[in-house]
Amino acid sequence: MRAVIADDEALLREGLARLLADAGVDVVGDAGNADGLLRLVERARPDVAIVDIKMPPTHTDEGLIAAQEIRSTHPEVGVLVLSHYLESHYAMRLLEEHPQRSGYLLKERVKDVSVLVDALERIGEGECVLDPTIVARLVGRPREQSPLDELTAREREVLALIAEGHSNDGICRKLFLSPKTVETHVRHILLKLGIGETQDYHRRVLAVLAYLRS
Amino acid sequence: MGRALTLIPILALGLAVGVYTLAVVRDDPATSFAGSSNGGAVALLAAGWALVGAGTLLLSRRGAGRVGFLLAAAGFAWFLLEWGNPQIGSALAFTIGLSLYAACAPLVSHALLAYPRGRLARRTEQAAVTVAYTGGVLVLGVLPALFWSPSTAGCNDCPRNLLLLADKVTLADDLRRVGVYLGLGWSLLLAGLLVIRLVEATNRGRRASSLLLTAGAAYLGLVAATFAGSLDRGFLWHGPLERRLWLGEAAALVAVGAAVAWTRLRARRARSQVAGLVVELARSPTPDGLRAVLAGIVGDAELLLGYPIGDAGALVDAEGRSVDVSSRPAQTSLVSDGQVVAVLAHAAGLLDDEQLVDEVAAAARLALENERLQADVRVRLEELRASRARIVAAGDAERKRLERDLHDGAQQRLVALALSLRLLRSQTSQRVDGEAGRFLDRADAELGDAITELRELSYGIFPAVLADGGLAPAVQALAEGARVPIEVGPMSEARPPPAIEIAAYAVVIEAARVARRGIAVHAARREGAFVVEIGSRDTAPLDLVALEDRVGALDGRVAVEHGDNGGVTIRAEFPCGP
Repeated sequence: MRAVIADDEALLREGLARLLADAGVDVVGDAGNADGLLRLVERARPDVAIVDIKMPPTHTDEGLIAAQEIRSTHPEVGVLVLSHYLESHYAMRLLEEHPQRSGYLLKERVKDVSVLVDALERIGEGECVLDPTIVARLVGRPREQSPLDELTAREREVLALIAEGHSNDGICRKLFLSPKTVETHVRHILLKLGIGETQDYHRRVLAVLAYLRS
Repeated sequence: MGRALTLIPILALGLAVGVYTLAVVRDDPATSFAGSSNGGAVALLAAGWALVGAGTLLLSRRGAGRVGFLLAAAGFAWFLLEWGNPQIGSALAFTIGLSLYAACAPLVSHALLAYPRGRLARRTEQAAVTVAYTGGVLVLGVLPALFWSPSTAGCNDCPRNLLLLADKVTLADDLRRVGVYLGLGWSLLLAGLLVIRLVEATNRGRRASSLLLTAGAAYLGLVAATFAGSLDRGFLWHGPLERRLWLGEAAALVAVGAAVAWTRLRARRARSQVAGLVVELARSPTPDGLRAVLAGIVGDAELLLGYPIGDAGALVDAEGRSVDVSSRPAQTSLVSDGQVVAVLAHAAGLLDDEQLVDEVAAAARLALENERLQADVRVRLEELRASRARIVAAGDAERKRLERDLHDGAQQRLVALALSLRLLRSQTSQRVDGEAGRFLDRADAELGDAITELRELSYGIFPAVLADGGLAPAVQALAEGARVPIEVGPMSEARPPPAIEIAAYAVVIEAARVARRGIAVHAARREGAFVVEIGSRDTAPLDLVALEDRVGALDGRVAVEHGDNGGVTIRAEFPCGP
C-alpha cells in the first residue's frame, strides 16, 4: 500500500512515516500544508492520503477541505483525516459527502499502528472508517426513551461496529461470529431502530450515523 | 408683567406728545407740515404713534430693547418736527423743536439697520448712522440753534430760544445750508444701505424683514427727496411739495410700525403654539418627540433636530443616534443662555426670522433641555453597552486564542511525544521487558489520559466547532458529550454574528449545566432578533446574573418563564439585522 502524509509538524510526519514503514506501508511522500498535499497527490497518486485536519494558514479545517477535494478529483485515492476534534460534526462533513474510501480518526491513534494500518487497509478496500471513540460517544449519549434501550448488549456492539464503518465480514472477524449470526443481528438492529434495510453498505453506515446523531 | 408696567408711562407720554403736537399744529396750520386737513392730522398721529407703539412692543422683549428704544425715540422725534412752530408758546418746547426737528430719520435708519439685535454689524453702517446723527441733530439742529435769535430772524411771535449763545443768524443759516447738503448725502447713503439689506433679506426669503426694510428704504428715499428739494432754499420748509413728501413719509413709518408689530405677533403666536404643544407633549410623549412638534410648527415634515453632545459638538437625535444636519439645506441653532441647546436642519428660508427662532427656543427650552439630557444619557448608555460588548468580545477572543494555542501547541506535542514513545518501543521491543516495559506502558497510558484531558479542557475554554460551524453543530456536539439528554430542535439556518452565537451558546451551556432531566434547544430569527429558546423540564436555579451580563452586553434580554408542567423556558433574545 502506498501512502502520503500531510501534517504541519515535521516531527510527527517523520515518526509516522517510520512507524508505517515498519508496518509495511510504503510512504511515498509528505507535505506540510494543503497545497503541497494536493500537488503531492497529483504527482504520486498514492492509494491513500493521511491528512491532519488543522494545517496552515488558519489551522482550522484546511485538511478536511483538502481531503474532500482529493476525494472529488481523484476517486481512486482514499483519505484518512486525523483530527483532535471529538465532535461528530467534522467527521460527518467528510463522510456525508464522500463515504467511500474516507476515514476519520482521532489524532492520538497515530501511536496505535495496528489501528492505523487496519483503517488504511479498509479505506483501500473502499470502506469508510469512523473513530470508535466518536461512535461510542454517539451510542452512549444520554437519550430520552429510545429504541436503543431495547437492543441487547451484543446488538449494541454490532451497531457500534456498523457505525465505525465495518462491513459484515469485518464484524464477523472482530466478534468471531458466523456471517449468518451477524446478518441476523444487523437485521434485528435495523428493524428495532426503524431504519429501512438496505443492501448498500455506505448507505447503511450513513443511515445508522444519522440515527445516532438525531 | 413688571416689564409691561414700566412701558405704560412711555405709551402715555407718546399719546400726550401726539395730542399736544396736534394741538400745536391746529393752532397754526400754516407753518406746519400736517396742515389743517384731517388727513394731515391722521398722518401726524398715525406715524408717530405707530413708531412709539412698535418701539414699546420691542422694549417688552428681551434682546430687542435697544431697537425698541430707538423706534420709540424716532416716534417722538417725528412729532418734534412740528415743534419749531412760532405759535407753540412754550420756550422749552420751541427750543427742543429747533434742535431736534431732523432727528427722526437718523433714529429710524439706526433702528432698522440694527434690527433685531440692536447692534450695527457693519462698519459702513456704523459710519453712515454716525454721519446721520451728526448731520441731522448737530449741523441741522443744535448748532444753528446756538446762533439763531428768533427776533433777529424776524419772528416776533416766536418764543425764546433757550439755547441761544450768540446772535449770528447768518452763521445759523450757513450751518443749516451745510446740514441740508449733508442731509441729502446721508439720507441717500442710508437708503442705499437699507436697500442692500432688503436685497439680502429677500434672497434669504425673510418676508417679515423684507417688508420692514422696504418701508424703511421708502421713508429714507422720501427724506432724501425732501433734502434735495431744499438745496436751493438752504433749510427745511413746509412748502406744498414738502407736505406731500411728508405725507408719504408718514405712510412709510406707519408701515414700519406695522411690520414690526406683525413680526412680533407672529413670533408670539409661534411661541404660544410651541409652548402649548410642548405641554401637550409632556402629557403624552410621542416617539418622535419634539422633532415632530417643531416640524409641524415650522412646516417642514423632514425637519431634523440634533442635540449637541459632549465637547466635540457631535449631534444626536432624541434616541441618541447620530444626526447629519448637513443633509438639509439650512441649519438653525436654538440658543439659550448663550449655549446651543439644539440644532434644527430644515428647508431653506423657513427659520430666518431670528425673533421666531428665539421664541421657539424660549418656549421649548425646558423640553429641549430635557430631551437633550435624555439623548445624552442614551449616548452614554450606548457607549457603556459598547464598552461592555468590547470587554466580552475581548474575553471571547482571548479564550479562542487560548483554545487554539492548546490545540496547536500542547496537544500536538503530546501526540508527537506519544508517537516518539511508540517508536522507542518498536526500536527496542525485543529488549524491553520487566520494569522498563511497565514504565513505558505507564507513560503511554498517562500520555493518552493527558491528551484526553487537554482536549476536554480546550473544548471547555472555547468549542472550535462553534466558530467553524455555528450554533447548530455546537449544540449537537454538546449533546454528544452531555450528562443529560439534549434535544436539538430546529436551528436558524442563517448564522447570526459570532458574538451572538457565542452568547447564545453560553446560555445553552448554563441551561445544560444545571439541568437534571434534559433540555430541548431551538433557535430562530424573528423580526430583527435572534432568539434561542431552551425548554427544561426541571426548575434548577440558573446563574441568571451571569447570563444577563453576557446577553445584555449585546443589548439582548434573557427571560425565564415557568410553565404549567413544572418546567421552565429560558429565552434569550438578541437584536440582530434581518
